[in-house]
Amino acid sequence: MRTLLNILVKELLQLRRDPRILPILFVAPVVQLTILGYAATTDLRRVELAVCDLDRTSVSRDLVRRFTDSSYFRLVASLDDQRDIDHWLDSGRARIALTIPGGFSADRAAGASAEVQLVADGSDAMTGTLGLSYAYGVIQQVAETEGLRLPVELRPKVLYNPDLISRNFMVPGVLAMILMIMTMMLSSMALVRETELGTMEQLLVTPLSPGAIILGKLVPYAMVGTVEILTALPVVLFWFEVPLRGSLVVLALLTAPFMLCTLGLGLLVSTLSQTQQQAMMISTFVFMLPQIYLSGFVFPIQNMPKAFQVVTYAVPLRYYVQVLRGVFLKGVGLEVLWPQGLAMLGLGVAILTLARIRFRRRLG
Amino acid sequence: MLAVAAKELLQLRRDRRTMLALLAMPVVLLLIYGFALSFDVRDIRLAVVDQSRTRASREVIEAFLTSGYFVRVADLDEPRPLNEMFDRGIAQAALVIPASFGADVAGRRPTALQFVLDGSDSQTANTVLGYARQIVNATGAGLFAVELRPPVVARPLVWYNPDLDSSLFLVPGLVAFILMVSSVIATALAVVREKERGTMESLRATPLVALELLVGKTLPYLLVASVAAAGSLTLAWGLFDVPIRGSIVWLALITVLFLAGGLGWGMFLSSLADTQQVAFQLGLLSSMLPTLLLSGFIFPISSMPRALQLISHIVPARYFISALREIVLKGVGPEVWWNDALALVAFGAVVLVLATVRTVRSL
Amino acid sequence: MSATAPAAAAAPTVVSARALTRSFGDFIAVDRVSFEVARGEVFGFLGSNGAGKTTTIRILCGLLAPTSGSASVAGYDVATEAAHIKTRIGYMSQRFSLYSDLTVDENLRFWAGAYRLWGRVLEGRLRWAREVAELERRRRTLVRELPGGYRQRLALACCLLHQPPVVFLDEPTGGVDPEARRRFWDLIDELSAEGTTVFVTTHSMDEAERCHRVALMHAGRLLALDTPRGLKADFAAGTVLEVGCALAARALPRLEELPGVVNAALFGDRLHAVVDDPARGRAIAAALDEAGFAPVTVTPIAPSLEDVFIRAIHAASREGAT
Repeated sequence: MRTLLNILVKELLQLRRDPRILPILFVAPVVQLTILGYAATTDLRRVELAVCDLDRTSVSRDLVRRFTDSSYFRLVASLDDQRDIDHWLDSGRARIALTIPGGFSADRAAGASAEVQLVADGSDAMTGTLGLSYAYGVIQQVAETEGLRLPVELRPKVLYNPDLISRNFMVPGVLAMILMIMTMMLSSMALVRETELGTMEQLLVTPLSPGAIILGKLVPYAMVGTVEILTALPVVLFWFEVPLRGSLVVLALLTAPFMLCTLGLGLLVSTLSQTQQQAMMISTFVFMLPQIYLSGFVFPIQNMPKAFQVVTYAVPLRYYVQVLRGVFLKGVGLEVLWPQGLAMLGLGVAILTLARIRFRRRLG
Repeated sequence: MLAVAAKELLQLRRDRRTMLALLAMPVVLLLIYGFALSFDVRDIRLAVVDQSRTRASREVIEAFLTSGYFVRVADLDEPRPLNEMFDRGIAQAALVIPASFGADVAGRRPTALQFVLDGSDSQTANTVLGYARQIVNATGAGLFAVELRPPVVARPLVWYNPDLDSSLFLVPGLVAFILMVSSVIATALAVVREKERGTMESLRATPLVALELLVGKTLPYLLVASVAAAGSLTLAWGLFDVPIRGSIVWLALITVLFLAGGLGWGMFLSSLADTQQVAFQLGLLSSMLPTLLLSGFIFPISSMPRALQLISHIVPARYFISALREIVLKGVGPEVWWNDALALVAFGAVVLVLATVRTVRSL
Repeated sequence: MSATAPAAAAAPTVVSARALTRSFGDFIAVDRVSFEVARGEVFGFLGSNGAGKTTTIRILCGLLAPTSGSASVAGYDVATEAAHIKTRIGYMSQRFSLYSDLTVDENLRFWAGAYRLWGRVLEGRLRWAREVAELERRRRTLVRELPGGYRQRLALACCLLHQPPVVFLDEPTGGVDPEARRRFWDLIDELSAEGTTVFVTTHSMDEAERCHRVALMHAGRLLALDTPRGLKADFAAGTVLEVGCALAARALPRLEELPGVVNAALFGDRLHAVVDDPARGRAIAAALDEAGFAPVTVTPIAPSLEDVFIRAIHAASREGAT
């Protein structure tokens, strides 16, 4: 309708007039994505390792070399005294310490199991757990090279992401988060700004219906969001070389309801706030942060207590994360992901309805 | 200066919604965090394809199911339906036991099992693989009644956090995250709001020095955020048994330093922006995502590419989290974390100077 | 100079309120206000801040619902037919609500579009608006760069684009220089002559003089309603005295106590006293002289609206106190 177009034009004009907004809207997300895409990795590399080799034979040095040759560890200290380990771990300069006792090579020569000690800094549980498991891996390699075969061997076959590169999922995830943040931010300020500046009253006096006003705020930001995705997606696909096994069309189709939800949430916040500052606070703390935690992006949903799992059904990002995994990594299409699409659509409509009701109520 | 602070505090106090967001939400987030989030994996959906159907194969399957990690979602005769099950997310892992398994075990011949994994969540996948390996190694040894004697055996010791409880690791990071975000955002708007409303002019007419103005506006938020921080830590200690092994004094000191830096950053940003919208976006993008991803909160810095490691040096949360972990979990004194504290001071100083200079210039 | 009132009998009622009341919790913002406004009238709503003027206007515009009582604008009921009202009215808020980050033309086009003006009609109205606001040369100027007087005229033009029969102006001359104010009121007179009903709120007595009729509001209540001349005629001749003396501010309490002084107020460095009898003048002069405020002069003056207003307020608060 022409009225809608009218409002759209005005919103876009206003956006364009603010010289700082443009780079933020279009350049920042790409920069963010690039930087953070590299940061968001759960694969460990170059964990600081301190070694105390009390055996000092070629056998023990061989073991140490296996550790340092792997890309997982980085040797930061070669210690002579076992008590020095305390200092290195305490200060955080080493995260894992390997102590090879004096009788190591003797035990090996005798064909017995030789013990070594591993100390891990647990204050960083992630490095601790993974560091230890990598260390076990290195040690197991020793067994394999000795030709010792386990009676029952486990042959893993990893689907969708054979090298278990965490980036393949993390990067699209970061893109989703950036998208969510930007669209929610824009729309949450939208209505409040008019109220704060005094033009809201003027708008309400015109024949424009509250619905038209809301829609007129949604569409331009949806357009902005779309452009953002279009500029950021090439970074994901070509810079990070994240494989896209599914179809872009499906991704686009399923991104639309997600944006509907985020924009709707932003608008809802707008109706809940009297000042722009409130809008920001509420949108960040009540809607953005919990979504990131509860979406299954970093922390798996199935580990959560049942009560929380139920709550996640109302989190739009949860479904979108599944969409991302499905389209990028698994290569599935709508036949699998339609429930997610439907859920997001339903949530989006519900949120917008709520926003409209609140908007009406605010009019006294 | 105190007058400005008092006015700002009054305005803030009346703004119930912002207060609520600043004070209550960190606590709520902490609750979510502590209760709901962890890296441990449970209830892994396992599809079983037992093509052997012997006592040996059933023993292996039992071992998986009684481990407490896996839950059986399907019992299949052949692996073909697996693709669809993985596609739909019905199964996260599948154990495929070949037909020859029983015979091999009886004949004491080395044999192999296939374990299919959904790799789209690589972190979970890694963990699941680890569990599976453990189970199979133990069961395999049992089946063959063999005593495994690996050439090298490791005795692990974990310091500070013997159970590698991930909440101990995450909670300090969460506190930092919340504080950073709230301090930056709350103050990023402070000056911009005055700018937008035009009350800046009237403030300029008073004999206040720019620095006094900035600090005065910052103080109330510093106060509120500190209360939120203290509340979060207390909650973490009370509810989640996060030990506070270090001294509270150091804790407070480090927190204040961190907050000052965050607030200064917010001030600086607000001097760059003319509208609250821009200020908010700048604040969020420069504080939230970097703090989440580059500070060592979740993803270890040492694993990042060099370039990012360098960038992480200017993320104040990095130092705060590192110092916080050391104080709270290791209980060590400043001789260990003095460099972190120094970095925070440096950050705070630089940022405040920048903020002052820019604000003075824009006035 | 006040305009001549339209033939009251012939002009139909365009805005009417009957015991209109609006409360916010315990606070009564508009208290049983009733009035009728005829077509083409310039109707002034006079009162200090917080008197309830803005709330009344918002109710009449359909922005706020009345708590009780009723009102109708252009034939539509404000409570039930608010949507219809919006197409028939223009509203200019206190803050001139224009988009400061858009240009003159962009603002005009937007508000025209909001009122569903398109095509050739639109272009015609735009030309008119630019002329009226004297902004033909400044079509591409950002509103925030316009001087206050121009912003005011632009805001007025924006709310008249769709040629509404009724226009509500809420304190339209705030922060604008006197020359611009005068020209603005010339515009209002033109509108009225063309048949548009203008409903204005103001707290400036000078502006109130230019209205056909003035309603005095205080603390939510309608204290008086009449033409400016009628309101002033309420005072019998000679009953407003201008008192000049030394230390006028200190003399005020003494003056108020004097017998026959209904009320007194400070007007600059002089005092106005409303008395029950013109003959009181001499007694007042004598009393003040004795009290040490010499030299004292007492002159009867023609009452101004301000005198009317103050007297009405004092009367109202006396009523409330008893």
